[in-house]
Amino acid sequence: MSNHESGLEELADRYPDVPRFIILKLDAQRRGIKLTENAFNAVQEPLYRYGRYSGVKGEETSKGVYPGPLILRDGTTVLTSAAAASQFENPYTIDHVEGKFYIHDNGRRIDEVDFTPRPDYYGKKTSRGVPMESIASARPQRIDIQPYRYCHFWDTQDQCKFCSFFTDLEEQRQLSDEKFPRALNVEDIYETVREALKEPGRISQINLTAGADYSGAVPFDNEVNRYIEVLQAIGRNFSGRFPSQLLAPAYTKKQVKRLYDETGLSSYCPDIEVWDENLFKWICSGKDKVVGRNEWVKRTIDAVEIFGKGNVYTNFVAGVETAQPHGFKTIDEALKSSFEGCEFFAKHGVVYLSLVWRPWKSSVFAGQKQPPLEYYVRLVKGLREIRRAYGLTSDNDDYKHCGNHGDSDLERID
Amino acid sequence: MSILPEELVNLLKDHDSVKILSTTDENGVPHAVAKGSLTTLDGITIAFNEGLDTNISNKNLVRSIWFDKSVAINVTKGGVSYQIKGKPYKCLITGPVYKEFLLKARERRGPDADIAAVWIVKPDEVRNETPAIRRKEEEEKRPFFNRHLDRASIKKTVHT
Repeated sequence: MSNHESGLEELADRYPDVPRFIILKLDAQRRGIKLTENAFNAVQEPLYRYGRYSGVKGEETSKGVYPGPLILRDGTTVLTSAAAASQFENPYTIDHVEGKFYIHDNGRRIDEVDFTPRPDYYGKKTSRGVPMESIASARPQRIDIQPYRYCHFWDTQDQCKFCSFFTDLEEQRQLSDEKFPRALNVEDIYETVREALKEPGRISQINLTAGADYSGAVPFDNEVNRYIEVLQAIGRNFSGRFPSQLLAPAYTKKQVKRLYDETGLSSYCPDIEVWDENLFKWICSGKDKVVGRNEWVKRTIDAVEIFGKGNVYTNFVAGVETAQPHGFKTIDEALKSSFEGCEFFAKHGVVYLSLVWRPWKSSVFAGQKQPPLEYYVRLVKGLREIRRAYGLTSDNDDYKHCGNHGDSDLERID
Repeated sequence: MSILPEELVNLLKDHDSVKILSTTDENGVPHAVAKGSLTTLDGITIAFNEGLDTNISNKNLVRSIWFDKSVAINVTKGGVSYQIKGKPYKCLITGPVYKEFLLKARERRGPDADIAAVWIVKPDEVRNETPAIRRKEEEEKRPFFNRHLDRASIKKTVHT
């Protein structure tokens, strides 16, 4: 790869059909953000004061709490946390001047930005006395619930090699039962969703994900039962199927059918993480051992028969395919592989989405080098074009619901 | 950026005035729609909501904020009319202003009403398009250009 890394302005000039906002988002996710003291003080105001369950070191300090996701002027949500600033070498800086937040790059003001406001249910407790923000965290238009906060792939050191789930981002170990309970009570979940819905226009989707639990007569049976119980509890708040997404392992067709038939779930997302077969086996050894790479792909496609075209998603961690020593050596090879994966899934009605890889210190890939920003710009442009050609849109992972996917952000004008 | 004239602010806040938003697509094709929600919250910028992310206006607004294109707004009531040209500055998808517009939409259209976004437009140019004002301006600049000579103010009335 070239030593010269083009930055935001250079790439905005070179790729005039990719909005500067999206390039900024990709770079902010790549490089992280940090807050000036002024900005940190400003996010302690009631409008922003977030505070939520998290294992991340420094997320809640004696001086205050870090805010929710960043929002750019065009409404683009950027899922990145200033609490993790120490993980990055050269993060963007967010300052607060005369009542407004601004993002800076090495002292140069780039643009006005904002943070996700604190939802009304934060600070409230369930009837069992559990803080609701520990049950569901909020993004601009969705809430995220993690009913089971432990991934059993870690038991055998088979966690995905980029993964930092349920760690403090620093140490390579999971923290449930130490910093937060491993499993959530379904009534707490029901009550939290019920409370969250009282705020007008705050939520238009509910997302579930958790650590993998492959126990059961058929692998994942217990996990599927748990999700069904949770989704049924959430579903008591609605009159029918509701906008929702489950990010989970690739289940058997029978398990997926149960999820669809017995709950109000509207979309399903078994993440492939990396398309290349050999890299999947290396990077996602747990998934490969329990399900197998080709079976994972087959099950993902099979789920379209149940959820319908465009309602099955699969995310990949863009950039991990360049991790060394086994990854691609050039970004052209990496892009070719990801575009091949996108095309394959698109042909079968599956939305294949990218998210930016960050080599967290708690992951096996700590210290690895991320691809340059240009890789991400070319990637999101290419992925959007492929999906558009197949008539696919990323309704459950668009600009206002996720905050992870520069490629789906581009669909706003399609 | 200047403060909007008081007459325009009153017009923007008047529920009975007609408000038209005009945007353009990627080929420059115009798209004009009535915007009942259009108003000013601060006397400086224009704010209105979009009902759907997939509306042509909304897509054109996204394209405008992404690629630095202008939009035009016309506000009219009775014989008074203003045109505003400006650029979308913000797309709000959550927060107090977003909530305010949603609640107003629900007041008007019932509890099932919904909005996708609230747009904030920063005016670059405000023009009084009231016909009488425009004619006066033009006649001062070019008093002999294209005026019908049989108009009451020009033709001498002969009393017999």
